[in-house]
Amino acid sequence: MVEQGENLLQAAISAGVRVYASCGGAGTCGTCKVKIESGEVATTRTEKLSDEEYQQGIRQACQSRVMTNLSVYVLVESRLEKVVLASEQKRVSQVLASGWRFKPPLSKYFLELSPPTAEDNLSDLSRLLRGMRRRYNLSHLSVDFYVLKKLARALRKGKWKVTVTTLVTASKPRAGEERRPRVINIEPGDSREKHYSLAFDIGTTTICGQLLELNRGKIVAEHIAYNGQISYGNDVIARINFSQKPGGLKKLQKATVATMNDVIEELLATSRVDAKHIGHLMVAGNTTMTQILLGLETKYIRLAPYTPLANFFPPVEAASLGIKLDKHVHLYTFPAVASYVGGDIVSGVIGAGIHQRKTLTFFMDIGTNGEIVIGNSDWMVTASCSAGPAFEGGGVKHGIVASEGAIEDFDIDHASLEPKIDTIGGKKPKGICGSGLINIIAGLLEARVIGQNGKFHRTLPTKRIRKGSDGYEYVLSWAKETQIGRDIVVTEVDIDNLMRAKAAMFAGFQTLSKSVGIECRDFEQVIIAGAFGNNINIEKAITIGLLPDLPVDRFIFVGNGSLLGARLTSFSTDLLDDARRVAQMMTNIELSESADFMNNYIAALFLPHTNAREFPTVSKRLAKISK
Amino acid sequence: MAFEIPKTAYSGKIKEITLGKGEKAVTVGGESSYPFYLFEGEMPHLPRIAMEVYDAPPEEWAEAALEPFADVVSDPVAWANKCIKDYGAEMICLQLASTDPNGLDRGADEAAEVVKRVSEAIDVPLIVLGTANHDKDTEVFRKVAEVCHGKNLILGPVEEGDYKQIGAAAIGYQHTVVAASPIDINLGKQLNILLGNLGVSDDMLVMDPTVSGIGYGIEYAYSVMERMRMAALTQQDDKLQFPIICNIARETWKAKEAKISEAEDPKMGDAKKRGILLEAMSATVLLLAGADVLIMRHPEAIKLVREMIAELTAS
Repeated sequence: MVEQGENLLQAAISAGVRVYASCGGAGTCGTCKVKIESGEVATTRTEKLSDEEYQQGIRQACQSRVMTNLSVYVLVESRLEKVVLASEQKRVSQVLASGWRFKPPLSKYFLELSPPTAEDNLSDLSRLLRGMRRRYNLSHLSVDFYVLKKLARALRKGKWKVTVTTLVTASKPRAGEERRPRVINIEPGDSREKHYSLAFDIGTTTICGQLLELNRGKIVAEHIAYNGQISYGNDVIARINFSQKPGGLKKLQKATVATMNDVIEELLATSRVDAKHIGHLMVAGNTTMTQILLGLETKYIRLAPYTPLANFFPPVEAASLGIKLDKHVHLYTFPAVASYVGGDIVSGVIGAGIHQRKTLTFFMDIGTNGEIVIGNSDWMVTASCSAGPAFEGGGVKHGIVASEGAIEDFDIDHASLEPKIDTIGGKKPKGICGSGLINIIAGLLEARVIGQNGKFHRTLPTKRIRKGSDGYEYVLSWAKETQIGRDIVVTEVDIDNLMRAKAAMFAGFQTLSKSVGIECRDFEQVIIAGAFGNNINIEKAITIGLLPDLPVDRFIFVGNGSLLGARLTSFSTDLLDDARRVAQMMTNIELSESADFMNNYIAALFLPHTNAREFPTVSKRLAKISK
Repeated sequence: MAFEIPKTAYSGKIKEITLGKGEKAVTVGGESSYPFYLFEGEMPHLPRIAMEVYDAPPEEWAEAALEPFADVVSDPVAWANKCIKDYGAEMICLQLASTDPNGLDRGADEAAEVVKRVSEAIDVPLIVLGTANHDKDTEVFRKVAEVCHGKNLILGPVEEGDYKQIGAAAIGYQHTVVAASPIDINLGKQLNILLGNLGVSDDMLVMDPTVSGIGYGIEYAYSVMERMRMAALTQQDDKLQFPIICNIARETWKAKEAKISEAEDPKMGDAKKRGILLEAMSATVLLLAGADVLIMRHPEAIKLVREMIAELTAS
């Protein structure tokens, strides 16, 4: 039931219809377009609707209020569809962390206890602890109160044979003290074979989960879904703003948990594992996502001097957040470094093993909020560069997230200027994804269709370059060849948006490396994380100046680094401790405070860069083409 | 051991560019050190001053600025000649203010006719500046370039928004361009690269970093010019090794402080002296930052700046 006057976007979300709304319903992005087939809405019209669209009954859902019963068609490009799964990605993620001991923080112990007698009338708990001491030499256990509630029954139901689950947390014991594992669960009988945990990456755009088997250290299942928060805004700032509205934080928190529950349900269904055998939940996310998940105030993340609520969050009972898992399951979140360098980056660093080697590494996580880390096992500096949503298709006229029908590869005939495009899944094109946009811009630059400033050479002899409603554009695909029935174009505004995104990343890299006195060529490896990162064509990304001009063999992809780290720490207590250490050793450099950053940024707003010397091989190639 | 003053190690040099044609052509640039650091390098060509001429009688000018030209303001040819004969101008800068679409909006043909007449009447180099309206400047400079073919005029401002059109006209009819960018070293460099890509040769380009007068942010202009020179001379940044032109007269004289009369605000003091000093001091600041060509207005201010240049370069 929808009330008259209710916002159409909100109504759609409540009804479970997934509509893309990258600005969070502010009316500024024009991604939530729907067609009103019958019925009436009251709409505030913005410049995001062309006359033609308006006449066809197309409206921005977020700017429309429901006035009568409606029949609404969600335009193809406004739908949130399945994200490209990891299995379809071109490259396989690499586990770079090495040499770690397989010793999960979550352990199961089987005990056969002697029943109490008149001579041996110890309490149930003391009996249990004596068993753990004698059998496993574990004497410093603490016991969760929840276990006491189950204890008497479990011991007797299992005829004094029980399985005890313990958890160690990352808090480092003081010197000389032993670690004190917590007893978090007790089950009758021997359930050691049913020993699972979950690893999650809570991204601003997507949520990705893995079901892990802890006896053998295997991934049993993996699933990814759009973060339910996406309809409330495209980036963390939009989310923080939304969380300040009455009930906003609660809505965001619920949306995340709902998505996590969907993912968990899917993981359990595909693997036929029972939810009660999951004993732990390891979550990596950026600072904002982490705080929203925990239902904590996020306001001060976006206000100078940008303070997170905490760097280390104590483990939380997962069920208390609404996650459909047993009461004993704790949710552990990765420690954060700063407001814009969160647990996902710490997790990525752990997954990539940067803290284990002397190799001088440049680590970048490419996403809406790009984070970069420079360093090795001895030191690390980090910064966050607000790249904006262009890499994920936001702020791009025909931009969409990487899904079927997204243009991802592009080639252009230098003589006829005719394009050759490939889409994900080989489907008819319906938009352009971030990696596609990089390839398109690199192709247009090399074919001299655009200049180094990203502007079209308007007088070239092709009908594909024309003036459109957003300025000059190049037609990638004529209407009849597409799924959306309109010409798919790349506009100067799109190019400009991607240039800003890449300039923010590269300027961040330059500023950060200069702050520690390191030259670009000194980097022995460049590790690229981020689900989007996996589909990047390195050479093209260098051509447009997103990645530094280094030999291609120095680049390594780790895919979703945040998820990787969450998995590895689920397998190794050592890495869990490392995560805490890494979060403490990383020095955050606030780029907004750096005078150099703005200068570097303007210099990077050029293809590939204002300083040709930063990109010697690209400059040489471009010079050759122009001759 | 005797004390030695540490010296800057220069690895680059500003390009030498010849403006205009014939006997009175002027060569600028060629510096191999920071401005006036003659103890470290050379300044083979002294900074030059171009005197302003307007293509229509100026409106709202300060009395002091108008006074020397009162008899010639409605005739750009006479005005230019007066600058050369009476005040020894080595270059003329013709401001095509009347083409402003928000003002008189004179057509391209008419503007080109004026440029042609002035260029034929004088033998010193002629700088021609439009109104920075991209569409209008494109239209005007296409015509100007054509009717003055081969005269090596200096056309500007050429900005990112119209560099292709004006640049192409300049290449076709052999004129020098003034690459103008909004007070940023990177944007300045980017435009130079774009013009190079277009085919403008290195000896046909001077840069205008966009300047302002004292009290209106001149320190930003100073800093940008200083960094341009540092990049050009010590970091071999060849895309910044171009002479710098500063359109300073217009900026200083439009300020309230240069225009307001003593009667209106007695504590500001003598209006004429004030205007002249503001122009001369602004120009001096820019000279110290690396200006090669100054576009100036008042003969007295020009005289002061010439003296300053002479003193700074006296051996």
